[in-house]
Amino acid sequence: MSALDLTGRAVTRPALALRPRSAAVLGLASVAGLLMFCWPLLVHVRVHGDTVSPPFFFLVLLPVVVLVVLAELSEGGIDAKVLAVLGVLTACNAVLRGLDAGLAGIEFVFFLLVLAGRVYGAGFGFVLGCTSLFASALLTAGVGPWLPYQMLASAWIGLGAGLLPRRVTGRAEIAMLVAYGVVAAYVFGLLMNLSSWPFLLGVAVPGHDGGLSFVPGDPLVDNLHRFGVYTLLTSTGSFDTGRAITNALAIVVLGPAILTTLRRAARRARLDSPAQ
Amino acid sequence: MTTAELPRARVRVRQLPRELHPGAWWIWALGLAAAASATTNPLLLLLVVAEAGVVVALRRSDHPWSRAFRLYLWLGLVVVVLRVLFRVVLGGATGTGTVLLDLPEIPLPHWVLGIRLLGPVTADTVLAGLYDGMRLAAILICVGAANALANPKRLLKSLPPALYEVGTTVVVAVAILPQLADSVRRVRQAQRLRGSGHGRRSLRRLLVPVLEDALERSLALAAGMDARGYGRAGDLTPRQRRVTGTLLIAGLVGISVGVYAVLDQSAPRVLAVPMLVLGALAAAAGFVSAGRRVQRTRYRPDPWRVPELLVAGSGVLVAAAAFVLLPHQPAVQDPALTAAPTLTLAALLLVLLGLVPALVAPRTSS
Repeated sequence: MSALDLTGRAVTRPALALRPRSAAVLGLASVAGLLMFCWPLLVHVRVHGDTVSPPFFFLVLLPVVVLVVLAELSEGGIDAKVLAVLGVLTACNAVLRGLDAGLAGIEFVFFLLVLAGRVYGAGFGFVLGCTSLFASALLTAGVGPWLPYQMLASAWIGLGAGLLPRRVTGRAEIAMLVAYGVVAAYVFGLLMNLSSWPFLLGVAVPGHDGGLSFVPGDPLVDNLHRFGVYTLLTSTGSFDTGRAITNALAIVVLGPAILTTLRRAARRARLDSPAQ
Repeated sequence: MTTAELPRARVRVRQLPRELHPGAWWIWALGLAAAASATTNPLLLLLVVAEAGVVVALRRSDHPWSRAFRLYLWLGLVVVVLRVLFRVVLGGATGTGTVLLDLPEIPLPHWVLGIRLLGPVTADTVLAGLYDGMRLAAILICVGAANALANPKRLLKSLPPALYEVGTTVVVAVAILPQLADSVRRVRQAQRLRGSGHGRRSLRRLLVPVLEDALERSLALAAGMDARGYGRAGDLTPRQRRVTGTLLIAGLVGISVGVYAVLDQSAPRVLAVPMLVLGALAAAAGFVSAGRRVQRTRYRPDPWRVPELLVAGSGVLVAAAAFVLLPHQPAVQDPALTAAPTLTLAALLLVLLGLVPALVAPRTSS
């Protein structure tokens, strides 16, 4: 793995620089997005047992938040080389996502996103997470209310991969990325479940205990417990674990080679660029 | 051509098959979805779904994405069935009303909140799950109608200027897909010629050259884009850029505060909906401001003509009418679980407005 050690420091400047203003926009948007993911845990009703209908307008508001971040990140213009690499990796991710459809529980979406976020930086990872999911949804005519949630969650995964400590190289880097991939797989599943939980199971109506569904006005712990059982029963044991295992395996088997390829492309793009 | 034929020729030109602007279809479909989200009346919801189905059947094109609608119908059905099943399996014991099916109760240990499985299935349990599930299914099916009707490639072309780069990225991704397939084919052919067989490393041997090839091409593409003047930055003053940043940040702050206030009902009501609206407006203004830097001309832009206006308008009207009229008719909006749901003429008419596209939208093929 000496090639990795040599190239580990090759990319020091992220492809899509996060200026302080972009970081502020990203932080605010993440807060707004997290509020819309976690709303069942935050709802505070005046009278216990008030009926709460799911806020359907979040389904329109969340895309606005995502688009604002994308507009901000590309506000200074995106370099043609960065854009081309972004386009290629988006296409690869869309293909990888298309492969999943037939194989329940085996998902290849995230390993390339994690590796690309690691090499090209946090801003690039965020945009790649958004464009990958959007492109694959467009190709399969799968644009639905779930898409903004998926886009934001996978954008966070790409962002987080770019924020991992830079100094770690070699085998330690692969180990770190595998650990991150596993955590990301479970967190993604958890977030997506949280976003669909009140919609799929319904909101409990007063005097009508809904079993595992969200009860507005109940203490946070009780709702968390209900959600925990729901997510454990429906996906943590099956889909999420499948995703985590595929992520880990793909990063172990393909990670070193792909990291080298991506870093070589980054170096070449830099070499070709005119002196500024 | 004689003068008598001229008017007819002009009429035929107007009826030439063409694709409606994808934005119009999305506005219409989101309008119907918003109307569906405002009610749990199964009759109204069925009407909305039927309308979406009729319009899709009459106005969809021959493109592959047009066949997606059927998938969304199945998805809607799955949602309804899941919802009712969850109710029956998890919450049956607590329902009231007529007992439809007396199933035995299975208590679970304490760590799962003492949830009981099964139990007597009552009419209320089933109906509540059914109505709620139908609402979600109707929303999904409306979005599915937009997927089937709107051309995604044209939608990408008409993205707002602020998303120019991101839109270009997705266009590049969509355009590059056939090249990826071609690349995979060539690499496999070369591997066969070299006689390398299957094995643990075959995946890496396939993926790495394909990725390498794709990245190589992307750099060539970037050089081509640079040569054609892609990188030309607009001339915005630092002040204009500060305005953009301020608007975007103010918008996000407004949205965050608004969302929190909507959820926490003990917060002052001024902070809820007004703050949300203000935040969204500021964000939209920032969006427009960010788009000013992009100076580009568009080859054959999609026109926005009268049919587009009528289609989008019908969606907006249905949504607006649903939110204004239905709260005055609570029995129609959220029918009781004990009696058959009813409709009023006003509710019927307002929902039927959504059928306008079936009449005014141009055909996509002759």
